[in-house]
Amino acid sequence: MAEIALQNVSKSFGAVEVIKDISLKVEQGEFVVFLGPSGSGKSTLLRMIAGLESIDRGKLLIGGRECQDLAPGQRDVAMVFQNYALYPHMTVRENMAFGLRNVGMNEKDIAERVADAGRILEMDALLDRRPSQLSGGQRQRVAIGRAIVKEPAAFLFDEPLSNLDAALRVRTRVELAQLHQRIAATMIYVTHDQTEAMTLADRIVILNDCRIEQIGTPMEVYTYPASRFVAGFVGSPGMNFLKAEVTTSGKEAVATLGDGSRVEMTVTIPDSGAYELGIRPEAVHVTAEEGDTTGEATVVEHLGDRTLVYARLGDGTEVIALDGGRSQVAPGDTVALRFDTSQLHLFDSAGHAYHAD
Amino acid sequence: MTSANARRFNIGGAIITIITVIAAVLWAFPIYWGIVSSFKLEDEVVRPYIELWPETPTLRHYWFALTQTQIGSWYLNSVATALGVTVLTVSTSLLVGYAISQLRFPGRRPLWWLILASFMVPTQVLIINHFVLIANMGLLNTWAGIILPQLIHPVVIIVYKQFFDQVPREFREAAVMDNASEFRILTKVYIPMNWGVTTALSIVTFIWAWNAFLWPFLAVTRTEMMTITVGITQVSDAFGVYYARQLASAVLAGFPVALAYLLFQRRVTQAITLSAGIKG
Repeated sequence: MAEIALQNVSKSFGAVEVIKDISLKVEQGEFVVFLGPSGSGKSTLLRMIAGLESIDRGKLLIGGRECQDLAPGQRDVAMVFQNYALYPHMTVRENMAFGLRNVGMNEKDIAERVADAGRILEMDALLDRRPSQLSGGQRQRVAIGRAIVKEPAAFLFDEPLSNLDAALRVRTRVELAQLHQRIAATMIYVTHDQTEAMTLADRIVILNDCRIEQIGTPMEVYTYPASRFVAGFVGSPGMNFLKAEVTTSGKEAVATLGDGSRVEMTVTIPDSGAYELGIRPEAVHVTAEEGDTTGEATVVEHLGDRTLVYARLGDGTEVIALDGGRSQVAPGDTVALRFDTSQLHLFDSAGHAYHAD
Repeated sequence: MTSANARRFNIGGAIITIITVIAAVLWAFPIYWGIVSSFKLEDEVVRPYIELWPETPTLRHYWFALTQTQIGSWYLNSVATALGVTVLTVSTSLLVGYAISQLRFPGRRPLWWLILASFMVPTQVLIINHFVLIANMGLLNTWAGIILPQLIHPVVIIVYKQFFDQVPREFREAAVMDNASEFRILTKVYIPMNWGVTTALSIVTFIWAWNAFLWPFLAVTRTEMMTITVGITQVSDAFGVYYARQLASAVLAGFPVALAYLLFQRRVTQAITLSAGIKG
């Protein structure tokens, strides 16, 4: 197991810069998730660590060793691919042994390692089957097994669950979390699915437009998003954004929303002016008393334990609010909404975030 | 589908079936005629009317071909040269196809264009050059002399390149991450994943090489070094052409290929389909 450090790495495909001066340190035994939309550069960054893409500028250190110019096989990392990439003509056992035979390991040690991996992943009975005789979830496990037998310094996962159906994805996600706890290996995991990121990661690296937007624990990025992009990207349903004119004096600020309602909060911002006010649905409550603003319920989604109320404010802005599981709100009702002012965020025109206390 | 529609469909199907059967009979008749004639007496063959079955079936022409000619040597020469051509063509073509498909090296594109361009040049155009070259190398009347000029089959390279191109990139990347050398990636991943095409191309190349006539005819003058296709031209003698005898030799010459085709029918069809779009 080893730590991985990227120091000012950049990459271009022709004239297009796809990774812009990224620095990052993944600690030994840490589970780090690269999260971002398509085209954000997350897979490219992972492939640069693997050695499948070259690093144009900057350094890559794996376990303190400079690796940016080494061949993929010499970096001591193992990768699990989105499509598994199991060799169809080999049995599970041969698939797992292939990498070890390439480095000339003796057959006895290979057999031991394959048996160990089979035990860890509970697939001893599958070792003599071919990939075509396995289900999607089993193939995924073999792909992970092929990585485990190498006992690498770090594991790299490139959207490994995206080919599985929803139920299997949840189960495999839990298994991956258990696997990480069991073998305590350094893992880097690429996904565009924020649920996977939130549930698996020790830390999330959020990428957008080829650069890092924020690095933090799942709760940090959720509670204190560093930018408008992170706030909008993390969380489902997404954060509500409302245009607001904010006046500030010291740590106190008053935001006037588009429908004229006023929200008071404690936040430190550099200047008064136009901001976007961000608030997550769970911080917007439907209340029977007087709220911060009112809106007309357009859609009501009963999710069992909670209810999502889509409300249109006086100026036409749509806000998602959270109500209890037994909510009586119906479409067309006028609802009073109360904001939890300690969970407000303000975003300036550059997208920079200021969090309310 | 209504019953009226079903009837119309059946009529259409029947017409197509009849046309196909007629075409098949027209195509197969010369082969039938050749085989039947090889069992006839020589004077029966030259009768001016059509006899669909031999009046006095005889094996004497086969006996003649097997005992009075050097057909044993011709078979051996054909097997050796056709196998040589097959093994060398397929093994070199798969290396070239792999290199062009998977490796990045200076001159890759020009090399690819060169291979594509070599289609434009029929082998017959080069045959005199080949003859002079092989003669200068002292390889006339040898297996090597028969084999070498027949190794030029750009279509095999092109088919391999296409198949290697279609292997998903992740397999190669997984092998690279697994520390596999280029040679192991080829032999342990790409070739086993394309066994089907290798088998098909081997069979077709073998049939091409077995059936080759023009070059083996030029490259060999000594009767005992002839391949079977050339050898069967030797069964006539100074007293004229013996049709039945020649047809019996031709049947013997074609027999191994027909057998190979029957055994590997599906693979051969596959290979012909693969190369059909490419070979002009």
